[in-house]
Amino acid sequence: MNSRNHHTNAHPWAVGVLLALAASVWLAVPAPSMAASAAPVAGKIPRTSDGKPDFSGIWQTTSAAEFDLEPHAGRKDAPPGPGVVEGNAIPYLPQALEQKKKNFEARLSNDPRLKCITPGVPRSVYYPEPFQILQRKRDLTLVHQFGGNVRTIHTNNTEHPAEPNEWWLGDSRGKWVGDTLVVDVKHFNDVTWLDRAGNFHSDALHVVERWKYLDANTIAYKATIEDAKVFSRPWNIDVILHRHREKNFQIIENYCFTQEYEQYYPPKPPTETSR
Amino acid sequence: MHRPTHIHPGEINMKSTLRGPWPLASTALALLALVAASDAVHAQAAPAATAAAPAAAASAPARGMNSHRESSFPAILSAKWAGPRLADGQPNVEGHWSNTIGNHGNFTDPQGGQAGGRQRADGAAPAAPARPTRPREERAPSRVSDPADGQVPFQPWARAKQQEFVANFANPTRPEHIEPLARCAPNGIPKSFMWHGFEIRQYPGYVLFLFDSGSRLIHLDGKPHLSETIKLWNADSRGHWEGNTLVVDARNLNGKPLFGRTGEFFSENAQATERYIFQADGKRFNYVTTITDPTVFTRPFTVTIPVRRYTAADPIDGWNFMATKATHKGKDVILEREEQLCYENNGGFGLGGK
Repeated sequence: MNSRNHHTNAHPWAVGVLLALAASVWLAVPAPSMAASAAPVAGKIPRTSDGKPDFSGIWQTTSAAEFDLEPHAGRKDAPPGPGVVEGNAIPYLPQALEQKKKNFEARLSNDPRLKCITPGVPRSVYYPEPFQILQRKRDLTLVHQFGGNVRTIHTNNTEHPAEPNEWWLGDSRGKWVGDTLVVDVKHFNDVTWLDRAGNFHSDALHVVERWKYLDANTIAYKATIEDAKVFSRPWNIDVILHRHREKNFQIIENYCFTQEYEQYYPPKPPTETSR
Repeated sequence: MHRPTHIHPGEINMKSTLRGPWPLASTALALLALVAASDAVHAQAAPAATAAAPAAAASAPARGMNSHRESSFPAILSAKWAGPRLADGQPNVEGHWSNTIGNHGNFTDPQGGQAGGRQRADGAAPAAPARPTRPREERAPSRVSDPADGQVPFQPWARAKQQEFVANFANPTRPEHIEPLARCAPNGIPKSFMWHGFEIRQYPGYVLFLFDSGSRLIHLDGKPHLSETIKLWNADSRGHWEGNTLVVDARNLNGKPLFGRTGEFFSENAQATERYIFQADGKRFNYVTTITDPTVFTRPFTVTIPVRRYTAADPIDGWNFMATKATHKGKDVILEREEQLCYENNGGFGLGGK
């Protein structure tokens, strides 16, 4: 029904253009064996006036990374997922692996996301709620639905502050390397987890993100995760973000940490019967 | 002193074990105590305007945290915008801003002290409510600029609820006596503009407000509002520029943030038409919002809050001027804003030390 309407409403020339576009996209699709990150750019990507890739838009992953970064079968609290970790397993130090196992057992009650403050970084990028990127020359601002979180990625040649700091989202300093935005993130607290499966980090977390367009509506997001207190070596994740293109789509504030007490406000008018 | 310590202004006696994203907190502590106690510090400005017609400016440059509190402020007329513009044509109003007359302690008497005395964590008797030391006419006018009496035109039931809040604010016995901000809730309309300093960032199609507690994205692209079944702390906002004025239609309000510690409120049926009227030199704007809510008020009323810009020439005070200086190799000062996340601050005013 929908598809029929679509066709009957389209101008014949439009259909032709669409077919041509479809053909070109088809030709550009990589062989299935190629990694997604190796996909060639199909079509022009949006760019800012100074020629940098323009990531402005509303983005969300369709991956199951939030549920468990590592490969996992379906379970009550998670859909199955092939994993997003390069090499599949996160290289925990022995003691940290024990902690991870404890976290996993207690995940339904202990996941810090349940407090609804923030998923942290990089989890906020693959958390299954949309976020909007607003871009200026000096920075990119990520406005997340979840928790109303706002992260600024500075792209103005500024550096991490020298003093020790512990932020939920870290301190993000970005540089353009060709068409890739490389972001160095550190100065974290140790309160957030990396997913719902209890994967975690310490305040020594250091994340290097790589944001790159695969095509005009798709971003390849890679992150190198380093934490000498928790992991035996740096490890990588690979996630794809899709642009929301629904008509009139927008992010909607989700200050979910207020849900426990919002029932108390505002004062209620007297009911008709009590007047 | 960049070790973040969890602190929420107004919650002085926090546990030191809590940590949070509030750098400058330690240095701000003593200052916050001053503010919480209220109008001990006087504005330097000349005697005041009436509520309805703010008098001519008396805006000396800011020095320190409270010395720039004004007791009067200039009206700013709607006009064409002759100042700088962004590439997309919007007037360029990016930067750091804060109100000039006081915080949320008292909505209709901004320099009149706030409700009640604080219950001390050590069990000692609560302090007496802070009382103003100057006569009313020497203090800043009510934020209610219309009606002329400066009072929120509450229906009787709503006035009773507001007064109940005031009576219980300092020593709450029920959850609804706790100011939502004390639990980290977004400040909403209009209180976001009478709390800490905030930043404006602009983009083609958007104006973004980054407040101390929550943010607002104003859509300039004309898309329709969300369904009215969706209610939000910080509204669903559609805006456009009329010369020097950003006009915003704010709907989908949940009515949950109070206007301040004096407990004024509206309901989920409220709408606000906001006018951000920028002065020609870009140094100030007046936030003028008309609020309509037939559930709570007898008539629409208008709130006016004066706001001034903060630049690298101003001392960063961690209160009105919420910025830090970026680390970089150049010599110019680059201002930036740190993450603002408030959490686990559910003690509420009066219980925060426990």
